[in-house]
Amino acid sequence: MAPVLVWLILFLCLLISIFKYTLALILKWSVPGTTVKKDYTYQPTVSVLMPCFNEGKTVYETIESISKSNYPNEKFEVIAQDDCSVDDSYEWMLKAQHDFTNIKVRVGRNTVNSGKARSVCNALQLSTADMVISIDSDCIFHPDAIRELAACFSEPKIGSVGGRVGVRNPNENAITAIQTFIYYAAFQVYKVPENWTRSVGCISGCLFAIRRELLLEIEPKIRSRHWFGIPVNQGEDRFLTHQTLLRGYGTYINNDALCWTTVPNTLPTLFKQQLRWRRSIVRDLFYTLRTLPLHVWTLHPNTVLTLVLTPLGAILGLLVAFTMLSGNPMSWAGPAPLVLYLGLAAVLSWVIRKYSAREAVNNPLAFGAYLAWSLVSSLFITTLALCTLDSKDWGTRTKEQEAADGDNTRQEGAN
Amino acid sequence: MATTPVKKAPTEARASVFQPMLYKSVITIYRIFAILTLYVVLLGVLAYGFVMGFYALNTSWAAPVILSPTDDKSLDFTEKLVTSRQTLEDLNVDVRRLDGGVEEMNQHRDALLALEPELRAAITREKKHNLATGPQLAELDKQKQADNLKTQAVMTQIKEVEAAIDKDLSAGLITKGDAATQRAALNQAQSSYTDSKINELLLTDSVLEKTTTGTKSMDVLDKQAELASEIAQLDIAIAVAQKQIHEETQQINRLKQALTAAKQSPYYLIASGDSAAYFAFVPYDNQGQVSSGTAVYDCYLNMVVCKRVGAVKQVFSGEEHATHPIFKTDIRGFLVQMQLDHPESAKSKTVFLNRKPLLF
Repeated sequence: MAPVLVWLILFLCLLISIFKYTLALILKWSVPGTTVKKDYTYQPTVSVLMPCFNEGKTVYETIESISKSNYPNEKFEVIAQDDCSVDDSYEWMLKAQHDFTNIKVRVGRNTVNSGKARSVCNALQLSTADMVISIDSDCIFHPDAIRELAACFSEPKIGSVGGRVGVRNPNENAITAIQTFIYYAAFQVYKVPENWTRSVGCISGCLFAIRRELLLEIEPKIRSRHWFGIPVNQGEDRFLTHQTLLRGYGTYINNDALCWTTVPNTLPTLFKQQLRWRRSIVRDLFYTLRTLPLHVWTLHPNTVLTLVLTPLGAILGLLVAFTMLSGNPMSWAGPAPLVLYLGLAAVLSWVIRKYSAREAVNNPLAFGAYLAWSLVSSLFITTLALCTLDSKDWGTRTKEQEAADGDNTRQEGAN
Repeated sequence: MATTPVKKAPTEARASVFQPMLYKSVITIYRIFAILTLYVVLLGVLAYGFVMGFYALNTSWAAPVILSPTDDKSLDFTEKLVTSRQTLEDLNVDVRRLDGGVEEMNQHRDALLALEPELRAAITREKKHNLATGPQLAELDKQKQADNLKTQAVMTQIKEVEAAIDKDLSAGLITKGDAATQRAALNQAQSSYTDSKINELLLTDSVLEKTTTGTKSMDVLDKQAELASEIAQLDIAIAVAQKQIHEETQQINRLKQALTAAKQSPYYLIASGDSAAYFAFVPYDNQGQVSSGTAVYDCYLNMVVCKRVGAVKQVFSGEEHATHPIFKTDIRGFLVQMQLDHPESAKSKTVFLNRKPLLF
């Protein structure tokens, strides 16, 4: 009975996914209302908050890319917040502050390692702008990114806007190639139906714009966020998006606001990153289920479906993988799944090469390896995420660091 | 920046004084549960990997198979066996019938063949005789014709003799009795002439018959041809029958071979159903471990703490297809019959042949 139930739910998830992707393509090509009417004359003041932990020279390159933004320099500032990096990240921040004088760069440092979410909140204390953009310190931003994000806020009901995250290193190896396909499909297709109802379930923390008033309202919840008394430092992007939606605001992804990230190029770093994301998904699912009536009455059905089915699919994947491995272990290695994945890779490869040549993948066959990764992901990452919800680390960025609780902040070099 | 009014977010429940203790308890339980779960998962993964590796490398496993007379394959085999036996019986009967027919035809043919030279000798003898007597008869015929011509000339004077008799009677020269006697003599002479003409004609016929090929000869030739034809037809019939006997004999041999081979099949044992039989599927990769008398081991968890449960009784050569008990892929191999001291081992997922897989 149980396997039948699992298969039924999986079939339902699959059906909804197919429906969602089909709907996405229809909306993308034929429904103008799917995209926000952007007003480029709308130019609020902006604080770019950049929490950082053990990024080294990359933070310098990130600030450099922001300094080249096509947004009036007097209307935006960068607030870089170091979370007690054990490398020279802080020094690179100071150097960027010194070098890029065309923009206002403020640098702060936490007194103790506090996690990304609290680092963002700490940086927020220095902001007085209308709009806040939280970014990842390992990303490179397109000059139009801030302008594109700000233009979307002309629609009053929009609370948070995200940009599209492209992959800087698509051809480094098979791992980065696979992620390139996933990132592209997620932003260009999967999130389109969510854009249609202005209810994107998760805006990437790489490029996350939000009204400052709203962030200030949510900030106490971020700071007090805990899991049975253990502070939660991860998944602030999903949490912020969720909170935005619950407050009646719309969320939106503007694919013209681009930033480029260096995706993990080794299995351990990818595993850590995916584990961090999966924890965030699981936590969010539990939160959604705990307050499901509120969600049903408050949010658009599409939003509820997204918030419930996406994480549920990840958890069910564990059961499905287990069922398949115990029943017919070689089915994963069969030709049909491989052909399906390679077919998808061929289509995506062609689309990416045509519309985003910078991310073009030289060897689409690498996507075949996603078959093995999906097994690892379904079996281990979900299990590990469910068993390590008390984790507090930064995921991919953790080096030798004693994690410590608390959110005391020591602001240094603040201009 | 203008923003629309926002709704109040759901407020958190007021923390009680017991909350930290509750949280600590929950976290402790969660961590214990999580650690146990992760260890179970880790052990599961290791065990799974080990089982996969074990069955990928092991070359002594076999999968017990329980065959029942009501299995599709057994039923099919039994049906074919019965059909083959019936066909064999039918063929034997048919061959015996054909053999009898051929023998009869051969006897008939021999009789006909014996008749033919006699007929030919008779024809030759007759021809020879005709050649000898034909010309003599022709000569006699000529003489007869000449005699008859002379007699005919004499017979033309009969009317004059009759008239003379009548005249003599009227004149009283002769009595009526003399006249009647003379007339009877005349009639007799005429009748003799007629007989002579008939004999001439018969003689002509005989001459014709002896000197030319007449219808009678044709009849004899026809009989001769019929005889030859009948022999030829018998030859054909005998050849056809012998060919059929040859083919059916071959078919009988093939069927006998098939039945002999079938007796080497596990399904024959099941079909005969005289005793409980235990079988195991052996993949070709593990063929090297199997021979008659090889020890059979049954193990806990399909790989450890093994005990000897019997031996291989018979190795069947027919190819079988089965699903790998672990990988669930289709594999080729053959069946062996096991003599089991512990019949419950026939229900194990796998057994091992020749040796314990992990030495214990």
